[in-house]
Amino acid sequence: MALVVTDAIVLHSFDYLESSRVLRLATREHGVQSVLAKGARRSQKRFSGALDLFAEGQAQFYARAGRDLHTLASFDVNRARFALAADLERFAAAAALAELVLRFARDESEPTWYDTLVDALDAVAVADPGAARAAGLAGAWRLVAALGFAPSLDACASCHDALPAERPARFSHPAGGLLCERCGRLAGVGRALLAEARAALRAWVGAEDEEPPLDPQSARAHQRLLREFLREHLTDGRPLRAFESWEGSRLAAGPASPGADAAP
Amino acid sequence: MSAIDDLAGELSKLPGIGRKTALRLTYFLLKQRPEQSRRLADALTTLAERVRPCAECFNLTEEERCSVCRDQRRDRGVICAVEEASDIGAIERTGEYRGLYHVLGGRLSPLDGVMPEDLTIDRLIARVRGGEVREVILATNPSLEGEATALYVQRQLSGQADGVAVTRIARGLPVGGDLEYADGVTIAQALSARREM
Repeated sequence: MALVVTDAIVLHSFDYLESSRVLRLATREHGVQSVLAKGARRSQKRFSGALDLFAEGQAQFYARAGRDLHTLASFDVNRARFALAADLERFAAAAALAELVLRFARDESEPTWYDTLVDALDAVAVADPGAARAAGLAGAWRLVAALGFAPSLDACASCHDALPAERPARFSHPAGGLLCERCGRLAGVGRALLAEARAALRAWVGAEDEEPPLDPQSARAHQRLLREFLREHLTDGRPLRAFESWEGSRLAAGPASPGADAAP
Repeated sequence: MSAIDDLAGELSKLPGIGRKTALRLTYFLLKQRPEQSRRLADALTTLAERVRPCAECFNLTEEERCSVCRDQRRDRGVICAVEEASDIGAIERTGEYRGLYHVLGGRLSPLDGVMPEDLTIDRLIARVRGGEVREVILATNPSLEGEATALYVQRQLSGQADGVAVTRIARGLPVGGDLEYADGVTIAQALSARREM
């Protein structure tokens, strides 16, 4: 049984038996790992308040080869993200980011996406009220790219011809990105993206410093595009629950605004 | 499946009981007199048939309304909202609270698919709208999900119940604890929630 020491973020936790808790951790060196925190619910001595959602720190766990559930020895938190609970839009966006990682990341060493996740959660945690949705979208697309699923935005995903940036184009989920006019006509299906929506997507996927402005209607349309894209690449058929609640503003105090389904 | 396997299988579904312990309990029961097993079976049947959520606060009870809601000496102007019925026992043991309760039935958790409509928030709002309530204490757990749940309930109440104070239980250092041994997260929370003396 090897002792693993790694940077980690708590993505999900649920109670296990009487006093323990199972955590799903995003780790810098070992991808997503499940660990059992024995006695975590009964005593604060071993893990203190470190086992809260989105807390970041150094985890030590005993890993057994061939096992899916390891035993957590300690978790020294260096950053708790309480700010994510101070705004429901932030909370919903962070949960969607966690779901994205839980569903797409594997247990291989992926330091790139770990850092992208840290940046995304931090950006959402400090986002102004009303800007958390855009911060979440930016973080999610960057994670998609870091996890190896970046959509093709500058060249046709089917024939690989260069795409003029200023024109609308059709986004095909099965093809994995934008299509040129000819391939778009042949495909017949897909979301039509205006030049502004393409620019926003390129800025997020390319991790550009300048964030594109986003009105609520466009933000929801982008969320729908992202959700459809993720669904296309998931094969298990399970719903993206956190994503759907984020997209539907189900945690917002008021009802979702009209026009939420408008295309970008 | 044999009767032994059947019972051991059911017992092993209980928290803290693994397959081996379940078998040990099964063999223990087999060594007892048959009346003992019957009493246990009766108690389980009675539990399932009689215990239900209180019609008012969703605490567990055998009556239409729980003992807290029936108690006329309780302060009916204060409602303490908790995640689970088991949290009520922890607050009652302090002997410091004389108001009523409301069991939300969990906490918001988008990853687990727990959304506002899965909780009893609408019933809490209906109680507050009744007019008698002057304060709602949000006593959800001091976790990120508990805080988000409290925030959601506060937002819902703020637009629906004018003049009702919505408060949140404090969090910070434990009584009798030692600052030197407290973790950074707890100290940070205690500092941010400091109060004037």
